[in-house]
Amino acid sequence: MRGWLAALLLLLSAVAYAQSHLPARDMKIVWDRGAPKVSFSAKDLADDRVRRELSSGLRKRLQMNVSAHFKGSNYELAHRAFGCDVTRDLWEDGYLVRIGTQSKRFRTLEDVLDHCLVVEGLFVAEPKNYENNKGRDIYFFVRAEFNPISKKQCRELIRPTSGDEPIGPITVNIVRRRICQAERTVEFRSEFLEVPE
Amino acid sequence: MNRFERKILFAIGLSVFLALGGSIFLAQGALREVYAVGVNERFGAELVHGVEALRGQLMALRSSTEQAADAVQWAIEAELARKRAENRLPSLLDELLQRYPFVRGIRVTELDGTPIAEVSRPPTTDTEPMRETSRDRAATVSGRTVRIAVSVEVPEVYFERLQQAGEAADVYSRLQRQSASVSDVYVWVFGTLVFLVILVAFLIGAIVSRRVTKRVTALAEASRKVGAGDLTVSLPTSATDEITELTQAFNDMVRDLRDSRTRIEYLQRISAWQDFARRLAHEIKNPLTPIQLAAQEMDETYEGGDEAYRRKLEHARAIIEEEVATLRRLVSEFSAFAKLPEADLAPADLGEVLHAIESSVPAILEDVGGGSPAPVEVRTAAATEPIRVRMDPMMLKRAVDNLVRNAVQAVHGAAPSGGGHVLVRAYKAGSFGFIEVRDDGPGIPEESWVRAFDPYYTTKAEGTGLGLAIVKKVVLEHGGEVRVDRAPEGGARFTIKLPLLESR
Repeated sequence: MRGWLAALLLLLSAVAYAQSHLPARDMKIVWDRGAPKVSFSAKDLADDRVRRELSSGLRKRLQMNVSAHFKGSNYELAHRAFGCDVTRDLWEDGYLVRIGTQSKRFRTLEDVLDHCLVVEGLFVAEPKNYENNKGRDIYFFVRAEFNPISKKQCRELIRPTSGDEPIGPITVNIVRRRICQAERTVEFRSEFLEVPE
Repeated sequence: MNRFERKILFAIGLSVFLALGGSIFLAQGALREVYAVGVNERFGAELVHGVEALRGQLMALRSSTEQAADAVQWAIEAELARKRAENRLPSLLDELLQRYPFVRGIRVTELDGTPIAEVSRPPTTDTEPMRETSRDRAATVSGRTVRIAVSVEVPEVYFERLQQAGEAADVYSRLQRQSASVSDVYVWVFGTLVFLVILVAFLIGAIVSRRVTKRVTALAEASRKVGAGDLTVSLPTSATDEITELTQAFNDMVRDLRDSRTRIEYLQRISAWQDFARRLAHEIKNPLTPIQLAAQEMDETYEGGDEAYRRKLEHARAIIEEEVATLRRLVSEFSAFAKLPEADLAPADLGEVLHAIESSVPAILEDVGGGSPAPVEVRTAAATEPIRVRMDPMMLKRAVDNLVRNAVQAVHGAAPSGGGHVLVRAYKAGSFGFIEVRDDGPGIPEESWVRAFDPYYTTKAEGTGLGLAIVKKVVLEHGGEVRVDRAPEGGARFTIKLPLLESR
């Protein structure tokens, strides 16, 4: 029993330590009809290499994940994600950006980054996710990724069949996860705030 | 778990986990080598070159379309500048369309959009998806400006190939960057799986070795018990291995020890009884003669006229003389028992004993019959080959004589009118020689088999209980054993078992 308690304490301490060491960034948070609308910029994800890759003519992905957590806990209260598939059009000048099923053209890369990495008034889940937690301290965690390879695509690219050997299925999954992770990631959190009554 | 088990398990664990460590170390090197062969910089560079080539091809195609659009513009400008009477613009556009195969159509309009001339290729039945774009130009001749729209198309597959090649190069580049960590993943997964296999092997080894160590531990424990004097221990010998052989040898040793101790104890007991018999015989024998003489004298010197008293005296004298005779016989047997010599062993054939018995059978029958031969058939059967044992022929003959005498008495007692049989035979089986005396008399109750050889234990009315004790003493001194059980004929069967000479 003591061992389990010690392990739990250790885990909580680790979570608190990780949160306190996560860089906090100014994020504008407005509560609208019981749900938070967040605004922030993750444009620093696009360093020189990212910009070069985005202009290569190959389709690249900018993935944004925003989640709400309780202070001192890793429990995910709410989550919102979207991604931009950016392709520089080698035939016509400009960039083609696809978000979900919608496509949009932009003349410059800067326009693309403003559209994909500068978030304005994004609802992070619905009021029902927060209504039972009024008065509690929460924070928003942002993870912006450049070119993570989707699970489906990763499976297609790295050894579609796992083979008959027992070592195959285990290792392929680990290798896929490692290889297909984002090429560049920016993570930050908001300041702690209270869910309004 | 005792120290021995711990040591065995430690040895097993050490060997298997050393093997694991070695295999992981070697596997790590091998995997890194294999990975370096499969994922190397050259291939990565070639993939990137491939992507560049595809991109270059696209860019060249784009450049060609631009050039075609420019050429179309110049040709139209030249045609408009000629100011011919007839309008050759449609045929010029047809020519241009034939000249540039990737141009899909050309449309010439006024600035306000009024069409002047237009040509286009007929729609093809080819299902290959195409990307179509328009290159717009303006031609101004003598102050007149017209718009020229050149629509060009390029197969979509060019873009797809570029994308696919780019993705492959991207993944390859990632694999190359993470070659060390990917090969480490394989090593760790391999190591974990091998560890699990070895763990199972270790557990099986531990279980199997435990079976051996348990038996060795049981042997050690049994040895301690034997050392403390407990000779009743016996260990199971179900398996067929060296430990079982060791256990069997241990059991044999304990059984030999137990038999030796039993033999020694019996002989010590017999020796004590012999001493007792000697003193008893001495104490009883001495007063017998004066008692008998006194009784005779009292009877013979009576001179009175009382007839009744005389008869009483004669009756008393007869009783005394009969009992004294009985006591003399007892004393004689006690003396014989007390003076029983120790066996003097020498190599001989058991058949000799059988022949000696054969010749003494008439005397035995006469003794038992009380003057006339008892009507009992005594048969002897000796083996055709010699049964060589170390024996004292006289002593052994005496022992067998006792058994035959007992058998004849039993058979005669049960059937005084005849019809009884006694069989005496000698044979060998395994490493032992046997003499068997069996009859078809009433037999010995099973509950008496254990005590039958105890001195002074008898079920006969006139027995002293010394005959079988003498038999056992003689047999034990020969290093053999004697037992009693039921004969197939229903009577008693006594079996003397002696080790053969060649088995010693």
